[in-house]
Amino acid sequence: MALSLPEGDLQTRLQGYLDGLNNRHGLEESEITDNVVRVVALPGDVPAVLATARETLSIVHLSFITVVDRQGSFELTYELMDFRGGRVRIKTTIEGDEPVIGTATRSYPTANWHEREAYDMFGVAFAGHPDLRRTYMWQDHFDHHPLLKSFEISTKRTFEGLR
Amino acid sequence: MLSEERRAHHEGALTEPASSRLVSPDIRDEFGLETIDMNMGPQHPAMHGLLRLILELDGETVVRCDPVMGYLHRCHEKIAESRMYPAVIPLTDRLDYFANMHNEHGYVLAVEDLLDVEIPPRAEYIRVLMCELMRLASHIPSIGFLMLELGAFTPILYAFRERERIQAIFEAVTGARMMFHYIRIGGVKADLPPDIPQKIWDYIESLEDNFQRDFVDLIAGNEIFISRTRNVGKMTQEQAVEMGVTGPALRCTGVDFDIRRDYPYSIYPELEFDVVTDSAGDVEASYRVRIAECLQSIRLIKQCLEQMPEGEVMGDTGRRIRPAEGEGFGRVESPRGEYAVHVVSDGSDTPYRVHYRDPSFCNMQLLQEIIPGHYLPDIMPIMGLVDPVSGGWDK
Amino acid sequence: MQTVLNILEVEPIRLLISFGAVLFLVLNLAAVLTMAERKVSGYIHLRYGPNRVGPRGLLQPAADVFKLFSKENVSPGRSDLWVFLGAPIAMFIPAALVWLVVPFAPGAVVADLNVAVLFFVAITSIGALGVVMAGYGSRSAFSLLGALRGAAQMISYEVPLILSLLGVVMLTGSLSLADIVEAQGDTIWTWYFLFQFPMFITFYISGLAEVKRVPFDLPEGESEIVGGFMVEYSGMTWALIQAAEFASMAVMSAITVTLFVGGWQPPLPFLDLGHFNWVWFGIKTALIMFTFQWIRWSVPRLRMDQLMDLGWKILVPITLIWLFVTAGLLLVFPSLGA
Repeated sequence: MALSLPEGDLQTRLQGYLDGLNNRHGLEESEITDNVVRVVALPGDVPAVLATARETLSIVHLSFITVVDRQGSFELTYELMDFRGGRVRIKTTIEGDEPVIGTATRSYPTANWHEREAYDMFGVAFAGHPDLRRTYMWQDHFDHHPLLKSFEISTKRTFEGLR
Repeated sequence: MLSEERRAHHEGALTEPASSRLVSPDIRDEFGLETIDMNMGPQHPAMHGLLRLILELDGETVVRCDPVMGYLHRCHEKIAESRMYPAVIPLTDRLDYFANMHNEHGYVLAVEDLLDVEIPPRAEYIRVLMCELMRLASHIPSIGFLMLELGAFTPILYAFRERERIQAIFEAVTGARMMFHYIRIGGVKADLPPDIPQKIWDYIESLEDNFQRDFVDLIAGNEIFISRTRNVGKMTQEQAVEMGVTGPALRCTGVDFDIRRDYPYSIYPELEFDVVTDSAGDVEASYRVRIAECLQSIRLIKQCLEQMPEGEVMGDTGRRIRPAEGEGFGRVESPRGEYAVHVVSDGSDTPYRVHYRDPSFCNMQLLQEIIPGHYLPDIMPIMGLVDPVSGGWDK
Repeated sequence: MQTVLNILEVEPIRLLISFGAVLFLVLNLAAVLTMAERKVSGYIHLRYGPNRVGPRGLLQPAADVFKLFSKENVSPGRSDLWVFLGAPIAMFIPAALVWLVVPFAPGAVVADLNVAVLFFVAITSIGALGVVMAGYGSRSAFSLLGALRGAAQMISYEVPLILSLLGVVMLTGSLSLADIVEAQGDTIWTWYFLFQFPMFITFYISGLAEVKRVPFDLPEGESEIVGGFMVEYSGMTWALIQAAEFASMAVMSAITVTLFVGGWQPPLPFLDLGHFNWVWFGIKTALIMFTFQWIRWSVPRLRMDQLMDLGWKILVPITLIWLFVTAGLLLVFPSLGA
């Protein structure tokens, strides 16, 4: 059974995605810049927004999930792509030091490993994830999350010493 | 006569999905059958790098397959936070070490997204030329690896002979055989030496002559190759897209997606090439897609050499690369799939966060889904379909 | 001088001395074959094989033997040591014993049994035992897989092996290998490989499978199970397994040549060398061994179920059909047989 990929003019499609997301969810910000639909949502809304994108808008591909440690909050970026030039970027900010957010695996099964990596590197807990364990680090006796800014490595100290 | 019958028998025998070969756990308990837990461990001569596969085997059938990674984790994303922007480029070289140019290109596109620099057209052409040569140098050994894992020891030596010749070209242009550090922010490091375009042209013509003989005639019609790879690792388009697979592994199921054409970057809009797909979705289809992509790369290289303009090779980025606060995204079509880089800048000399979306990491999720139901010797051809590189999935 | 030659006529001494000579030949052949394999594979891969040790690399086997003697014989901690160490011996003995019945030249057989074919078949079957001992004694998951695959493969391919040589036996009317060679006559078109061509091909393929060479080297499957039944062996124990493998490859080529390609018979009558016909035997055996190696470096390996399909569903029916054809033709034209 062949997968049907979207057709038509890029701008109309992007506008369609923007309107589709805006109409169904209360988004904090939403705009189209540089041919990318940028959307900011609350952490609690993110699984629902992703579900809309997958089921209603047929945006089939989740490219990556980036976590940025803003030292006091965590900023997640989900990049979605329909395969014909359209990009939707969903940003959300989780306050605090113990980030929890709903999982995206129900809409995008590929998020499985992306979320495992985010958990491993930052400690972001994804509620409802089927198999949340570490990807790169040791499973048993390693309690740190390496990419947090509080996890310092020696090169940074050396570099600053040189300045 | 016999080979046709045997071929039909094999095609017919595997029309249902491989997981139907699994015996249900209740039947296993009733008969007192046990499964073996086995490691196809990190030390293995034929694994594509350091991967530990925890397998649960029922005789020779794989019941469960769990990849455990992390044996080559080198903390690229963390180190990048303490290095200046240009100094991160050698790090990106070492991510997916069969596609160094594409890694560099992706990161540099992300940083140029943050800056506002004009890249001269000659630099763009050189970047594309190097990337397409790199694609050749990656697809040809991956065909060799597929055959090595099937048990034929000769094609990989022919493949590495070609790769050595391409690496000789890279050495003449960039100074290094493997870790190039060539594509810089704003352009490329240095212009091509004056005799290189002719050498590349001669090499490409000789490759075109040898390609059919070395990599297609010996392999594609081989009875044993066909019976080992047809209908092995078969996946549907929905499965592939759900698992986030991109690149030749996705195109071999029939989904027509190539970043060079759908999310164009650099000067790909001005070059002519076809996006090759195959509808079978098994290992043999991925082999055919890679062969066809090699021929498309040869076509692109010829166009680059013909159309290359004269001029500068480095744009004006100022003495210090210090982008304003913001985010930059770069995305390229690496030989394994979609390679994306997300750079977050806080206005200082060093990036605040660099995130690499490596295609090997994402394509590996295939293994957990596809392998159960296949036999143990089928695991290696399926890895040949995905073609991961351990520097990629482990960063 | 005369007394020395008279002693050589006395039965037990003749047998022991000639068997000793053949054993010496086999062990050296195993070493030379490693070298031949590496050179042949080198040239197929467009590279030189080993060419440093000695002129054109000819002393490489000596270097290999020295290295292997100096290696430690490691065995896994949990292994069953008697079975583990007995396995290489159990693999080597059948390969060496079959040389007892191979005719090198007219009248030059170590033991001219009148049931030589039966002896060959029986002793070859024992080879499967050695494989299972190696895999079971190693007590590791990979070895067990390799051993079970090896046992299944070797036992399955004995059926087409035996069936394919029955045609030759029918044509000759005798189970003695010396008789079979003599019945083939001294012209290339009377040798059995032409009339019994399907049987020749089947015997050749089954021989490849018995010796566990590519495309049938799944018990040793280097890409999946890294050595299979012999993964835990190192040093001299491994060397003995390799020697057993090469010796059995050599003996399978020798038997193929004896049964189908004319043994020591020259291809044309005027090329007859009398007692030096072992030169012809050597040339033909070397040719068959070269094809074994040629195939090894050219094709990928078969998966287990495909291997079994090939053996049971394709080779056995071919041999049965051609057996009937041969029997029918012998009934109608009795002069075809000896």
